[in-house]
Order: sequence, then structure tokens, then C-alpha cells
Amino acid sequence: MATLPQLIEEDVRQLDEVLRGFVAQTDAIAALVIDKGGFLLAHRGDAENLDFTTIGALASGAFMANQAIARLVNEKNFTSICQQGENFSLFVMDVDEHCLLAVIFKSQSGAGVVKYYALGATRQIARQLAVARERNPAAGLDLSAMNVADPQELFRKKIS
Amino acid sequence: MAIINQATKELQVKIVYYGPAMGGKTTNLVQVHDHVPTAAGNKGKLVSLATSSDRTLFFDFLPIEAMTIKGFKTKFQLYTVPGQVIYNTTRQLVLRGVDGIVFVADSQYEKMPENVESFQNLVDNLNSLKMNLADIPYVLQYNKRDLPNAAPVEYLEFLLNHRAVQVPSFPATAHKCEGVFETLNMITRLLLQKYLAQTVLPAA
Repeated sequence: MATLPQLIEEDVRQLDEVLRGFVAQTDAIAALVIDKGGFLLAHRGDAENLDFTTIGALASGAFMANQAIARLVNEKNFTSICQQGENFSLFVMDVDEHCLLAVIFKSQSGAGVVKYYALGATRQIARQLAVARERNPAAGLDLSAMNVADPQELFRKKIS
Repeated sequence: MAIINQATKELQVKIVYYGPAMGGKTTNLVQVHDHVPTAAGNKGKLVSLATSSDRTLFFDFLPIEAMTIKGFKTKFQLYTVPGQVIYNTTRQLVLRGVDGIVFVADSQYEKMPENVESFQNLVDNLNSLKMNLADIPYVLQYNKRDLPNAAPVEYLEFLLNHRAVQVPSFPATAHKCEGVFETLNMITRLLLQKYLAQTVLPAA
């Protein structure tokens, strides 16, 4: 199953630009581009107070679970989920086969505005991800300095 | 498939702990979370989506960061799946985008049918995602070695690792953190070897 092999600076710059514009338009607290496997690709917003890695994994899982339910009831038009809370809300929208846009926003901002601008943002993100996907996936990563014969270097048990 | 972010110099890898119900998958993650020293591996929060009786409902999730490898931060995302047979759709969702697998088998004699069934279920679920176990780095962990009714390791090897290409396997007592880090380090080693083999070095 192919997902995104790698992103270069141009990809990340473009994604950042889209997210920056989207957050400004919607007054969202945070916007994340996440892989459906749970990886965080790009983000914009309050990174100091929000754990984007975990939010990305959970948002991906929530979307995929709801999509599986939609399939079970033969619903083919499933592109987003929205959880509206008293103070904060979450909106997750399909970008393409592999990625999602997750948005955290104040409930008073209104889900309609977020949904409206998310449509344009997801199209721009999808275009850039398509460019990244078509690029040579093998070039650029050099792990030759890694002594893979010694895995104990990676994780050690804490001495108590 | 792993995400390589050249801009932020990050390699993100997804490892899924798979196996029969009550085999010790969540215990592995709890032990990793409790015993990874912060200085050597930056660990995130352990998130468990569990039932009221502490059985995994959706998945457990633990992000940890290993040392920097030639400028790349290597981030490992550890997941478990729910082992109960009824949660098969959930297991398929969690397997999406997997890079490496740890199969946690229960060493008790009476659990052998469940071990074999779960392993076959893993193969089937990967196939449903158009993936092949032979193409994915995986290791076996024979957990609960401290129980009196544990089957010999040779018997577990015969049942689960009797293939043309044998994979690394580890005896473990996860609740005592025995074999947990050996297993984790081996799967990370296999994963990095895979990416090293795929690397195209620039011409000198």
C-alpha cells in the first residue's frame, strides 16, 4: 500500500502556506495534515499546548472508524466527520486516498465556515501531495552512518 | 509506509504489536513507556483506548523518538491492536500504513490455537490491505515465559516460525520487562536495515 514516501522543503513550504491561509480564514486553533496511517505531515497552530502527534493518530483513527461504518451501511459519500463540543470542536476532512485535514476550532467560530474553507484547502493540499508522491521516493535518505548491527544503541532500559 | 520529511529531517515509522487477546501487547507498550529513559528516547504519552475492564478497544498508542541518525530524527509510533476476534475491522484500520510488526504470542499450552489463528488473521488482514507479510519486517515474541504451563520455545518456533525464512524471536515476560526491549530493538533494527537497503547514495 503506497502512502507518502517523502516530503522535501518545497512540499512542506507549500503545505505550511495552505495551512497558514486556512487558519487565518477560519480563526482555527490548529490545522493538521495527517496520513491515514496516523503520521503527522504538517501542522499550524498552538503546538506548545497541543500534542499534535497524538491528536493526529487519534483523528486518523476516528475518521477511519467512521468511514468503515459508512461502508457497512453502503454510504459512498463519506468525506468528513465533525465533533462539535461546547468550547472546542474537531473537523476532519478527506484530502485524498492517503491523507486527511484535521481542524481544531472554537465552537463559537461555527462549523460552516470551517467546512467551507476546508474544501479549498484540501484541494490545494491534494495537489501538492500528488507532486510529492510522483517524485523519486528512494533519493535523499542516507542512513549509512547508522550501525544497524547494534540495535541496543536505539532504546535502552532505564536503570532503576 | 514510513514518512520521510526532508524539510524537518524526520523519519516516522509505524510499528504494530499484534497477537491473540490477553497475550501482553499492551503490557509491552506500558513497559516501554515506563522504562525508556527520557534522555535516550523522547517518549510521548501512552494513549489507551480501552474498555472499562482495561481491554484494548481500539488501539494503544505510544510515540517515542530514537537518537538522531545522520541528521534525521527517527520517530517510532508504537500501536497495539485489540486481540479479541470480534474486533477484526479495528485491527485492519490499525494495520494501515504499518512498517514493522511485533507478533506477541502467549506461551501457555492452551493458547496455541489462538496464537495460530491470530497469526493467520494477521496474514489475511495484510492481504486485504494489499500487503504481504513477507515484505514487512516482523519479529516474534513468546510472552508469559514465567508461567508454569508455558510450552517449550521449540514448540512455539515450530508453530509460528516454521518457514523458509525464519524471523528473530524472543522469549519474554513482559510484565517484568524481560524481553521487551530486546524485541523492540530488533524490530527497529530490521526496519532501519530495510530503509538503508533502499537508500540511493549520492554519486561521489
